[in-house]
Amino acid sequence: MKIGIYVCTCGSTLSRTIDVPSIAQAALSFPDSPSVTTMDFICSENGRRQFEDHLKQEQPERVVVAACSPRDHETTFRRCMTNAGLNPYLLQMVNIREQIAWVTEDPDAATEKAIVAIRGAVNRVKLQQPLEKMQCEICPDVLVIGAGPAGMKAALALAEAGRTVTVVERLPFIGGLPVRFDELFPACECAPCLLDPLMGDLLHGEFDGTVELLTMAELAEVTGFYGAFNVTIRQRARHVSLHECIGCGACVEACPAATMNEFRNGTVERKAIDFAFAGALPSVPTLMEDTCVRSRGEECQACKDICPMGRDVIDLDQPDSILERHVGAIILATGAGLYDASLVTGMGKGVFSDVYDSCEFERMLSSTGPTDGQIITSRGTTPSSIAIIHCVGSLDPEHKPYCSGICCQYAFIFNHLISDRLPGTAITHFHRELVLPGKEAHSLAQQARHNQNTRFVRYESIHDLAVTATDDGKLAIHASGKLTTGDMVILCPPVIPSSGAGKIASILDIKRDQSGFFRELHGRTDAAQSPVRGIYLAGACQDPMDIRSAMLQGMASAGHVLAALKPGGIIDIEPITAEVDETRCSGCRLCISVCPYRAITFNHSHNASEINAILCRGCGTCVAACPAGAIKGHHFTSDQITAEIKGLLS
Amino acid sequence: MTAAQGFEPRIIGFLCTWCSYAGADQAGGSQKPYPPNLSVVRVMCSGRVDPQFILSAFANGADGVIIMACHPGDCHYKEGNCRALQRYSMLCRVLETFGIEKERIRLEYVSASEGEIFRRIVHETVSSLRGLGPLVLPD
Repeated sequence: MKIGIYVCTCGSTLSRTIDVPSIAQAALSFPDSPSVTTMDFICSENGRRQFEDHLKQEQPERVVVAACSPRDHETTFRRCMTNAGLNPYLLQMVNIREQIAWVTEDPDAATEKAIVAIRGAVNRVKLQQPLEKMQCEICPDVLVIGAGPAGMKAALALAEAGRTVTVVERLPFIGGLPVRFDELFPACECAPCLLDPLMGDLLHGEFDGTVELLTMAELAEVTGFYGAFNVTIRQRARHVSLHECIGCGACVEACPAATMNEFRNGTVERKAIDFAFAGALPSVPTLMEDTCVRSRGEECQACKDICPMGRDVIDLDQPDSILERHVGAIILATGAGLYDASLVTGMGKGVFSDVYDSCEFERMLSSTGPTDGQIITSRGTTPSSIAIIHCVGSLDPEHKPYCSGICCQYAFIFNHLISDRLPGTAITHFHRELVLPGKEAHSLAQQARHNQNTRFVRYESIHDLAVTATDDGKLAIHASGKLTTGDMVILCPPVIPSSGAGKIASILDIKRDQSGFFRELHGRTDAAQSPVRGIYLAGACQDPMDIRSAMLQGMASAGHVLAALKPGGIIDIEPITAEVDETRCSGCRLCISVCPYRAITFNHSHNASEINAILCRGCGTCVAACPAGAIKGHHFTSDQITAEIKGLLS
Repeated sequence: MTAAQGFEPRIIGFLCTWCSYAGADQAGGSQKPYPPNLSVVRVMCSGRVDPQFILSAFANGADGVIIMACHPGDCHYKEGNCRALQRYSMLCRVLETFGIEKERIRLEYVSASEGEIFRRIVHETVSSLRGLGPLVLPD
């Protein structure tokens, strides 16, 4: 076999320590007597040209380049191979610079070590096989799960780039959690106003037709893989046509049945056919089947009879529907929930009616909430003192070990709104750490500090605090023996993933971390990608985060999709992947359990594992795990590595 | 076992490309010397290191083997380093039953920024193997 060894002298960097002529001499004794060519600065423009010309002229069957680290220039030299008409995977590099010349004091030892390393590479390269990048047709359409800030931002960015997007939202309305809030930190902006442009674009914008919004819908099943997912969606019946209803509310007036409204803290009634809350978008009511009198066998068509748009707008017998969509990528933007504060003992949640968690208090502040924005106690009185307890279950190994990073900031928005609406109200912040990152967060905190009615009490452990009731019906907050009374207590528990995350993780077979957030590909460099190719993460389903971060991550996930799933629908498949030899596979499926990328499935008809080259990232863990030796890791085969070991030791 | 006079051990190191190999390159960048006894085999992930490679290294004359991996939690391939650890622990027990000292095989975590640690590990391993002497394989 004709093997060409190219030694780069890298200026005098290498030749100063390594005796290059000795390499040429030694190579004569290698199997197949490869030729040795010495060049200077092969990576330079001139060097590359010389290298390519030499390759074209000599046409070696295999090439070894002894130079710098392959981390520096393997790609460069592979490109030269391609330009010279050779397969780029018939190249092996030897790192004689960073790992030999620069770190070996004795020139003889350095030369000897270089010879040994080159011998290993020669042995290996003989067994290397030409590999080709494969291409696969893909579907460029995208599924976004969740229509909160992150999901809407992702969907609109994709639509703007001309993509067809299906947005699946579990609730009857869009906007996620913040659409239910009043003012937002850090700039006291009105939450629905801030979200309105996005919601408007999603519902009626210029992307109408390319963005499909499915409310009251959930993921039921997903098959396929990156570039070609088949998605089954189950959509509950709204019973009111999204396209024909004008949102006048006549049906709501006419409806005889009512229940408690979960979106108004469960303290205010809603009709069986009603809006989730005033201003919820799409502005179309929902008929709750189990509240409707028809569920009890009674005959009633009051809503249908009164609808000014005709009798077809409301369909009392509309069934749930199953929808199928074909997409190339899936963005998870399933959002946040709040840790159940009643699990933190002694805080009074679920015991005293005037102990609220922060989401409930957000609703109380909102004009669409249970009290139309009035801050009042459960007895209907105006509170004269309010306690806000930070870190209720956060930074606490018994509950959630992390800091959610947003609670202190919304606690100071609460402070601002309480002082604004009820001037003179005494507010006490019971806090541990105060976390106020970024350039804007400090201003609301400063405002609270300068508020003469606001007090700060620092506590060490949540066990030092207890909320009890006094004889006159007030609440008492005990902090390390000191007592503060209040009419209302607001608890700030940790942000957790929304309740649907577990189900989605099991449908998509993706992992969650110990706190239930979706695991990202890399926490710093790839937080918007899941480890499974084609599944991206946006917003608080990945990590507790504020609206700004959620929106940015929505854009990031859209960017990933646009960069990877290009128009024309082709993706390149890297050739360094693993492949199963069916005839040797024993069917033990150990490979499936070790693959971090869900790239391996079991083919029951062949009784063998099967690796999807699109999903495989070429780590080789399955290759090492296979007890039958049935898996080949291309470009890092067992034969190649063993040959290298033998070459290094012979 | 007594160390052979002037004995220089031969060591094979399996380095994952993303962390440990980069760490070795960083050691090179600082141009501080270390003993030349280590020959590096680059793999994409420490999870690729088949126990057979280690046996093959010993069978072909290596006196010691080091697997170098990303730190736990840092693996570029999520959990390949955990697999490497599992296989390493199992292999250590097997090798001991064959009379191969556990000091001859090491698993170390080296990140891309830990050139100095890489150097230290090479120094330590070389000096420990010098003390241990050449590997004598059982018949």
